[in-house]
Amino acid sequence: MTMNKKMIEILQIASISLIWVLFTGIAVWIVNLIKESIRLHDAPDASVAISIVAILIFLVLASVLTYVFIGLRKGRKEEKETETNPVPG
Amino acid sequence: MDSVSAQPHPDAPLLRPIERPARNFYLIVGILLAIILYTGFVYLRQILFGLGVTGMAQPVTWGFYIINFVFFIGISHAGTLISAILRLSKAEWRRPITRMAEVITAIVLAIGGLHPIIDLGRPDRMSHLFFNGRLQSPLLWDITSITAYFTASTVYLYIPLIPDIAILRDRGVKPRWLYEFLSWGWQGTERQHKVLNRAMNLLMVIVIPIAVSVHTIISFIFSMTVQPGWHSTIFGPYFVVGAIFSGIAAILVLMIVFRKIFRLEGYLKHIHFNYLSILLLIMSLLWFYFTFSEYLTGYYGHEPNEMRVFWYKFTGDFAPYFWAMVSFNFFLPVLLLSNRKTRTIPGILIASLSVIIGMWLERLIIIVPSLANPRLPYPTGIYIPTHTEWMLFIGGISVFILGYMLFARFFPVISIWEIEEGRKESAKIVTERISSYMPGPEPTSAGE
Repeated sequence: MTMNKKMIEILQIASISLIWVLFTGIAVWIVNLIKESIRLHDAPDASVAISIVAILIFLVLASVLTYVFIGLRKGRKEEKETETNPVPG
Repeated sequence: MDSVSAQPHPDAPLLRPIERPARNFYLIVGILLAIILYTGFVYLRQILFGLGVTGMAQPVTWGFYIINFVFFIGISHAGTLISAILRLSKAEWRRPITRMAEVITAIVLAIGGLHPIIDLGRPDRMSHLFFNGRLQSPLLWDITSITAYFTASTVYLYIPLIPDIAILRDRGVKPRWLYEFLSWGWQGTERQHKVLNRAMNLLMVIVIPIAVSVHTIISFIFSMTVQPGWHSTIFGPYFVVGAIFSGIAAILVLMIVFRKIFRLEGYLKHIHFNYLSILLLIMSLLWFYFTFSEYLTGYYGHEPNEMRVFWYKFTGDFAPYFWAMVSFNFFLPVLLLSNRKTRTIPGILIASLSVIIGMWLERLIIIVPSLANPRLPYPTGIYIPTHTEWMLFIGGISVFILGYMLFARFFPVISIWEIEEGRKESAKIVTERISSYMPGPEPTSAGE
């Protein structure tokens, strides 16, 4: 099975978007639980404290993956540029 | 596979399972799929007829599913946690081990995480957690921490895998589009290495507290209640120690199996088994210390309900399991691993299998006796697992074996680029490190 480079690039961009969709989903869910605890007066302070940690962890993980994916692509481009435009001398 | 590069690779034994899979690979996959399919049918029957098809009843409302949940999540500590500690401590001998360990985590966490859902008679009610969950509940902490650990472990497995995926892409291994997609254009440039190392260094630090939190939170499901035998302040560290203990045993078993099947004697040497088995021995002693402290405190308090559970384990119906647990987790491994003559690969295999069985028994010992002897004036409960529970246990193990086999079919189980890096740089790095320990003038900050 072969797939052209353009298609693979689209898939890669889609996967970065998916990571952020997942993160947003988790964040929205947790915020919804905080709202619920405030509405029911059900230890909202504890809920907020736990949520801050949880959302932060997922945010860091999503950021690391995005950093790697974008960093690797940029690293590749620079390499190509130096190959096509060799430094004179 | 005709498209595969004819170029001989210096680490050809690591590529062989991917480029030339064994003939019986598909046969084993078929057998495992048949078991999993039958397990699916058994589970469907449970959904249709309810939890009445299991051995669970009042007062023992948690059985095999929760035992296996705690057990599988415990095994998951093998991977990412141990790998992160070895990487952080710059243990050079880690190179052939880390990936094998990380794969265990990713697969086992997925299996373990599903068990609380299997334990529900109405799994559709899981949706209530999304709309009406209570963040103060340890059960919700569990879901959050396991999801975070699973995500972190998968990322931590995938990122160091990228250079190896690029090797497979460049060798033309099929499915090429998959390797092309997953390698993110890796060319091994200096900038790409910098990005990869920076991300790995950050993940190493994040993953350790997440892993510790996961098993601590699992212990909270028990210790936050006032059930006799569960309400203990040391349950958090006790569970973490047990998890690392069973995890190391699982890595050792897998290393021995892979070494034999893929003929990896040149990579997984006796010294790797020796180091890890010494770690297993230390964990066995630590486990015994925690177990002793846990039961001594309960016994000294002599609270009547606590003592009912205590004697139920020590001399009652659960005594055979309790003493088997102590023998499998302490006496047998200590006997085998403390003696250089028995610390051989067969000896280490026996000790590791013994620890895996012993740690499963520990989960059984923690969960069932406390539920069978509640504070309420119930007669002592009885729990006998049925065919449904046994089948779901076997199914879970089959999913693990299948998952690991499929991973090994498509990706190298030993990190090729880290081995190459080790060959090139390890000796120099270690020499520099040793010279920095030695007495002499302190190196300048530029030199550091």
